[in-house]
Parts: sequence; C-alpha cells; structure tokens
Amino acid sequence: MSLASYTARRAALGLVQVLAVVTLVFFLVEALPGDAAVALAGDNPDPARIAQIRAAMGLDRPTFERFAQWLVGLPQLDFGVSLVSGRPVADFLFSGIGPTVALAALTLVLLVPISVLVGVLAALREGSLLDRALTSITVALHSIPEFALAVVLIAVFGVQLAWLPPTAVGADLFAQPAVLVLPLVVLLARPICSISRLVRAGMVDALASDYVRHARRLGIGETRVRFAHALPNALAPAVQQVARTTDWLLGGVIVVEAVFVIPGLGTVLVDSVAARDLPVVQGLAVVFAVTTVAVNLLADLVAFRLAPRAEVVA
Amino acid sequence: MSPVVHVEDLRAEVDGHVLLDSVSFALSAGRVLALVGASGSGKTTTGLALLGEHGSGVSVSGHVEVHGRVGFVPQQPASALNPVRRLDAVFREIAALHEGDPGELVETALRRARVPADLLRRYPHQLSGGQQQRVVLAQALVGDPAVLVADEPTTGQDALTRAEVVSELAAVVAQGVALVLLTHDVEVVRALADEIVVLRAGRVVEAGTAHELLTDPREDYTRALLDATPQVFAEVPDREPRLRVRGLTARYRNTTVLHDVDLDVGERLAVVGRSGSGKTTLGRSLAGLHQQATGEVLLHDRPLARSLRRRSRAALAAVQYVFQDARGSFDEHRSVLDQVARTAVRLRGVRPAEARSTALAALSRVGLDEETVLRRPRDLSGGELQRAALVRALLAEPEVLVCDEITSGLDAVTRAGLLDLLASVPCALVLISHDLDVVARLADQVVVLHEGRVVMDGPVATTLDGAKERMK
Repeated sequence: MSLASYTARRAALGLVQVLAVVTLVFFLVEALPGDAAVALAGDNPDPARIAQIRAAMGLDRPTFERFAQWLVGLPQLDFGVSLVSGRPVADFLFSGIGPTVALAALTLVLLVPISVLVGVLAALREGSLLDRALTSITVALHSIPEFALAVVLIAVFGVQLAWLPPTAVGADLFAQPAVLVLPLVVLLARPICSISRLVRAGMVDALASDYVRHARRLGIGETRVRFAHALPNALAPAVQQVARTTDWLLGGVIVVEAVFVIPGLGTVLVDSVAARDLPVVQGLAVVFAVTTVAVNLLADLVAFRLAPRAEVVA
Repeated sequence: MSPVVHVEDLRAEVDGHVLLDSVSFALSAGRVLALVGASGSGKTTTGLALLGEHGSGVSVSGHVEVHGRVGFVPQQPASALNPVRRLDAVFREIAALHEGDPGELVETALRRARVPADLLRRYPHQLSGGQQQRVVLAQALVGDPAVLVADEPTTGQDALTRAEVVSELAAVVAQGVALVLLTHDVEVVRALADEIVVLRAGRVVEAGTAHELLTDPREDYTRALLDATPQVFAEVPDREPRLRVRGLTARYRNTTVLHDVDLDVGERLAVVGRSGSGKTTLGRSLAGLHQQATGEVLLHDRPLARSLRRRSRAALAAVQYVFQDARGSFDEHRSVLDQVARTAVRLRGVRPAEARSTALAALSRVGLDEETVLRRPRDLSGGELQRAALVRALLAEPEVLVCDEITSGLDAVTRAGLLDLLASVPCALVLISHDLDVVARLADQVVVLHEGRVVMDGPVATTLDGAKERMK
C-alpha cells in the first residue's frame, strides 16, 4: 500500500471517529439529569420560569433537531453560547488554546531531541555505567507524579531560592517566558523517561540486527550505520508514544495548569465543569476529540514511513 | 594463474576451544570453492576470516591473503536489508565508499547482478525472495570485488528461488569473480563448485576438485555430507487411512487459500507445492491451528473440532504438529527436557517423574544426552532442537504427525538422521515439504497442491515426476 492511499484511508477513518465522538458527547450531555434551563433558573427554580428559559433557548425543540443544528454549527466554529456568561463558547476555546498550544509546542521541541539523544546514548553504551545511571534516573523520575514534582519545584525554586516565578498568576506568558520554566520541567519529566527508554530498547535491537551487521560489512561508516540505518528503525515504537504525549499535552495537563495557574484549556475545562457550563464542556470535548484523532493520524503516517512493512490495520 | 585467495594454516579459538585448526586453501579468479560441513564445522568462521572479521572473543591466527576486495553475500537477504531504507539510498551510500562515478558504479553492479533499475525506488519488503537475493548480490558487487563470499545463499528458499540464486551466482563467476560458497546445500555445490573443502569440527577432512569429491570421496563423512539422494525405503504397513479431510476450505482474511480439499491421509503422506500453494495451511487445519475454515477433518470417522480449545485431550494428542522453526516452538526460559516431558504429562496424564524418564530415554535414542537437554534452547543447535521437537510430539503418542518443512535449513548429515527417525515412527506421517528428495525417501502417497487446490493425489511412484513438473 502506498503512503497516499494509506493517508486517504486513515483520514476517512479519522473523520468517522470525530463524528462518533461528537455524537456521543452530545447525547451524553443530553442524558444528564436537568438541563441548562434548570441550571440557569437558580437555587429556587420556578417551573414557569424554567419553561420560559427553555423556550427562549430552544431547548423545548426535539433532541434531533437541536443535534442537527449543533452539528451544522461545528465546522463554522459555532459551538453555541456559554450559559454562565452568555459569551460564545468559541471565545473560551480560543482564549485557552493559546497557552496550551504554546506550552505543548515548547515541551515537544525540547522533548523529542532530548529523549532521542538520551536513548541513543544509553544504547550505544549498553551495559556501561552511563547506561545504568540513565536507567536508574529515568525509572526514578518516571515514578514521581506531576503534581508532586510541581509542588516540590515550586517550593524549592519558586519560594526558597526565588529563582523563578512560582506560578503564572496574572502574567503574560509570552512577555515573561520565565513563568514557563517550571511547568516545562514538570511536563518534560515523565515523557522524557518513557520515550528515551523506548528509543534505547529499539536502538539496542536495531544495532544487533542483521541489516546493521550487513551495512557494516558493506563498509558503510559507523556514524552512518548508527544514524541512517539503525536509528530510523529504533524510532518507530517511540513515535506512538510521542503521539500519546502530544495528545496529553493538548488536552490532559489539567493538574499542571491548575498548579501553575496557567489559563489553558485544562483551566477552562475545570472552570466550566465547576460552573456546570455544559456548552463549554461540549465544545472542549469536541476540541479534544479532534486533536486526539489528528495527532494519532499524524503518528500513524510517520510510523508507516518508518515501518513500511507493518500493515497497520485501520 | 596466481590465486586471488590464499589461506594458509588458519586457526581460530575461543576460550581455549578450537574452532578452526590448520585450514588451508587457495582459489583463482573465476573459480568456485565450496566450503562444506555440518553446522558448527567452522564454515562461517572461515568465511568471516576472509572478510577480516571474527566473532567476539575469537582469536584468529594464520595467513589470509586476498588480492582485491572481498564482497559478502549474506544468508537470508530478507533480514540483511534494512526495512525502512529504499534501495537506491543505500546503493548511493555504498557507491560513495568507492572510487569512480557513483551512478556508474551502481549501474554496473545492478547490471551484473541482473537487478532491473526500476526496483530501486522500492523498499525491501516490496521485492520477491529472488529479487532480494539479487539486490544483496548487487550490493556486494559495487566497486568490483575480486572475491565473493556467499553464506548459505539458498537456505530457506523454495526450489524456484534456489535455481535462480544458482544461475545468478554462476553468471557472476563467469565474469571472473572468485566465489567462496559456505553451504550445506548439496544441489548448489553440485551446480556451482569447482573445488570442495570439507570441514569437520574445524579441520579439513578432505579437499579436492568437485568432480573427485562428488564421485569418489575418500572419507565416509564426505560421502554422508554430499550424498543428496538418500535411498532407504521404510516398510509401511497397509491400513485404513486414519484421517480424512472432507470439503476443507480455508481463508486468511478475505483470501481463500484452500479450495474444497478432499483427502484421505495414508500412513506416509507428502504434501508438496510451491510457496503459497496452501501446504502449511492444510497442515495447520489438520492440527486445529487454523480456524477460518469450513469442512470436516475426521479422525477414524469422528469429526475433530476445528479449534484446538474445543478438542479433547485425546484428540489433541492424536494429531501432533512439528514446526519448521524449531527454535520458535520452544520456550526460551525453560530447559528442553522439561518442555519435552511436559507433553506426556499434559496430554496423557503421565506422572511428571515418569514422563521425565521416558523423555530422557527417547531423547537419548535420537542422540541427545542428558547434559544437552538439561540446557535451555538457545544452547542447542537447530538440528538438535528439531530432534527434540520431534520427540516432544511423539511422546504424546499421536495417531498422526504433521511435519512442516522440518528438514529445511539442516545440513545433509543432520537431515539424514532426522529422516531415519521419521521413517520409523509408528504413526501416520503428513510431511509438508518442497524437498522432493525427502518426499521420495519417506512418502508412499503424494498430494500436490497448486493455488489451494489438490491437482494431483497418488502413490509416490507415479506422482513424483508430475510433482517435479509442478514445482518448476
């Protein structure tokens, strides 16, 4: 199968996945007891007032009609209106997406080279003191949860030593990059460990393979053998893990955003859930679904190029 | 003509254990020297010494002189080609190592190995086995080597690919390259070799021209090794077929690989056919290893469940399977003896202590002593493991034993031992093979499969010639 036809197949599948998630999100929210009108009516709901709000918001119309309307709005980035503030949901999403994407991009830019380097170094010196030291450190680091690491780093570098701002409260992320340092360290800690372990394992296997031995016999230089012959094979398993990490960075770093008070999508999610602002929650779910599908699509394409033999069953 | 390869008194040892001892030979341009010997005889060590290489911990001494470059054609090209690299990129890398215009170097090498240039945009997995073989040959030919060392170039290839490999190598030799062939494939030796050096446990047993050694060898060992046409026919009792197959159709995903097969399995049945003809699927269906199938497999007129899980203990014991890859069929973490003895415990309810002593006795009958079988699989050779796998299956006291290509990749001596063992088994034998010598020696009935259909079924005497035609 060629890359083009594989891409087309995977993209079509991705579209179906997004549609399925979007449908599921809508009907799950629909299944929740009480609706937006109940939430808006306050603590002492008057049935007449609830009915009035329902009529005003169109909630009295049939479910499928509303679903169709919502679905049509999605491609135009019309996610509905927040119950709490009356602002469009899209505004919330746009305000949160900036910090989240910036943080994710910075993390990835540092993550990929560092973890590949660490993995390759450990593999090239397999069994050496360096390899064992790296193994011990990565295993230890990987077993510390983010919130614990975050609290310790804030206590040491933010409060005790006062080298770095402890949180990003009220700061403009792009004007004061120093506020991003501690969150970045926390976000990098565990993915570096898992990805470098995968690269190391892949590299050790690749270096012992028949094709590497064959390349050496053909007289190809050692650097080339390592980086052009062994490394591409070693990367295939790591790519999937990078994808999972990216997905997590784009939607799941709620704890880190909360600890460092970064106004990203995670914070928006926490706030909207606390306020029962269902349209915003729905909108976030759609955004997370689309990023998850897109990131995995990309990862599958890269993996397909790196392991053209593998028939990835779509 | 002065020799391009001259090896004098080559010696190799590892930890005081001698791998090679006073090995000497010489070879001129355009000639083929075959280094033959059973596994572990030192063929590969000698071949590596020509490349100036040795395994870790091996010390090599002696005189190795090569005029010109040495090219290496590896065993199993499928694993020697990097799966993620397109061929052209790798060829460019190799060409950059040699003097001259890279494009021209590659083009010459491709032409000499008869690789069409339009294959270059492909990945290795998009090539057939024969094409992969030619590609590694072309890689070795870049920069015009004086000597080629080919390590078991035909191991694991089907008859057609084997013939291709032989003709490719012959063509290269005709262009004046000297070829050192490390092999235990007698057919290839017959077809190509000008000179033969027979190695046994690191020593040269006999050396001479191919004609001399093939027609009138001095040593029994040479005779056993180079004698490709085994004779012995075992007496096979006439009896009702134990296993019948009715209307068997098998699929992989959406591809039908067996079409409506009807078969009476006699005492010594051989299933032959090209790669992909459905031989292995037929064997697997008999043993309950292939579930996407319809139709019936009857043991003494009682249908067997299609899936292994739904077969009773007795039914499981009745049909046993020996896999082509013996190593893969053993758990690498437990001793071979444990695993062989386990069959009798699981399938016949024998007590463990008793199973162990029975297993030991049976293993020693096939030449595997206690010390050997107490080790883990990785410390045994392929031939030893294959014998152990056979004993393991026989300890279940099966009615039918399915053997899938179990002699491929073994040298002639090991193979002969295994065939003797098979000839004497008390059960019905289903022999899946593309080696017609093996078939001629063991089978009384031959079934020829072609694209999933039985195209011939009859006694070996009348069917074998037709089978040969079909295999071409």
